[in-house]
Amino acid sequence: MRTAFLLAIVLGLGSLAACGRQAVRASEKAMLADQVMVFDDDPHESAANEHVRTNREGAAGGKGAGGGGCGCN
Amino acid sequence: MRLQLTKASRGRPAERARLRTITLAILVCAPLAHADDRTEVSTSLFAEKRDGGKGNLTVIHPQALFGVDLGRFVTLDVAYAADIVTGATAGVYQVDATTAATKFSDLRNEGTLSLGFRGKRSRIVFSGTFGTERDYLSRQVGGAASIDLAGRNTTVALAYTHGFDQICNRDNGMASPLEARALTGDDPCDKPSVVLGKDTPGMTVWEDLSIDTAQVTLTQNLSPTMNMQLALFGQIQEGFQSNPYRRVRIGPNAPQEHIPDTRARWSVSARLNRFLPALKAAAHFDSRFYNDTWGVTGGNVELGYSQYMGKSLLLRLYGRIYQQTAATFFKDAFYYETESTAGEYFTGDRELSPVRNVTLGGKLTVITIGEDKPVLGLFDKLQLNLRGDLMFISVLAADSTADNPMGIDKQFIYGNSLIDGIVIQLGLLGNY
Repeated sequence: MRTAFLLAIVLGLGSLAACGRQAVRASEKAMLADQVMVFDDDPHESAANEHVRTNREGAAGGKGAGGGGCGCN
Repeated sequence: MRLQLTKASRGRPAERARLRTITLAILVCAPLAHADDRTEVSTSLFAEKRDGGKGNLTVIHPQALFGVDLGRFVTLDVAYAADIVTGATAGVYQVDATTAATKFSDLRNEGTLSLGFRGKRSRIVFSGTFGTERDYLSRQVGGAASIDLAGRNTTVALAYTHGFDQICNRDNGMASPLEARALTGDDPCDKPSVVLGKDTPGMTVWEDLSIDTAQVTLTQNLSPTMNMQLALFGQIQEGFQSNPYRRVRIGPNAPQEHIPDTRARWSVSARLNRFLPALKAAAHFDSRFYNDTWGVTGGNVELGYSQYMGKSLLLRLYGRIYQQTAATFFKDAFYYETESTAGEYFTGDRELSPVRNVTLGGKLTVITIGEDKPVLGLFDKLQLNLRGDLMFISVLAADSTADNPMGIDKQFIYGNSLIDGIVIQLGLLGNY
């Protein structure tokens, strides 16, 4: 069960990566680079949110590493 | 920040450790998303009020981040955060603990140093964090790496942190859990070397807690107006995780809270952004599923909408709902008090109870861009952020309400206010 779950995740991520190769051309990324499209654009807001929620909720995680958006590391 | 504490206590170690892990992860990841020099200062205020004088809490949380490029390939980030906590809360988890509310205050300081290296399509960042307060020492190291795959539409990021914390606790020697006494604000918590705690034999001991956290994230451009992010999170906590101050009423006694030493937790989340060119706006979706070995299963969904108003104003509105099941050993206060413990363990930790909360909020950003000359002579872009949240908590029963003669609404950890808490945050973010 666990192996199948991990396999599904790997296949899913791999498929997304393959599809994404041609998803958007560089000249089409202006809107993706807008700050409203960047995940966790404001670290202080994210930190403050987690600060409050960590004391009310038993759950953890869920915020990704890296902002993303324009795909321009 | 603690919402359910005893005198001089600011919280359960596991939660504070998690907070530091989250903070570190955010700081580690921030340089992955921002390539230019930046500085950010902000202060948030959190206030919670419970009914009938059973407790309240106010937390002021200032933060500062300063990041610079050291040449083409190296970045350096320095961050500082503090918690100034005041409040009053009940000291014992029992039914109708109105008379036990006591006042407390505390100060936590935390600093983080991050060193990053970036290539053409990849970045790697190493970070270290140290935090200190009267009864808690936090030391963490971590790293995060990201790479853009071919086409630059897919970013894969990995992050890992290791924390080795120390928590001041009452020296209970060989006492059984039902005999263990709780720490008090008057007990000494010695830190002669600042970074290490020192036991005071017969009075207090420093307990260890290790936290290992790993996360893999995939960010994907789906179209010129839509992107998404998937994240898989895992964490193992090993060590002392009880709140040393919290007591639980069990029959005629009130021993220190007792919960397991090991906790493994994982979550998977998905987020989606959709830009709406005709409206000059964007819609946001965020969801998460969570599970751990203590039996807590939770999930949340958040919807958001960002709207530009002219060139300088950005308004974001959002709503979020979260719900979780209780840990297997969490019982309502009347159960512990009139029946028994839940096996070996007993706790009054709200974060382990069945709980549902709703958050409604908005954020207004004033954006100033230096087109011809720098803003204030220094910044390429300067943003002023003002944010406010309203929080609502729903009372859920851990045990059968038919067997609850006293009523869960009389447990001090819950209130019956329409609005249970507010958050106000003011921040200034500059890129230069």
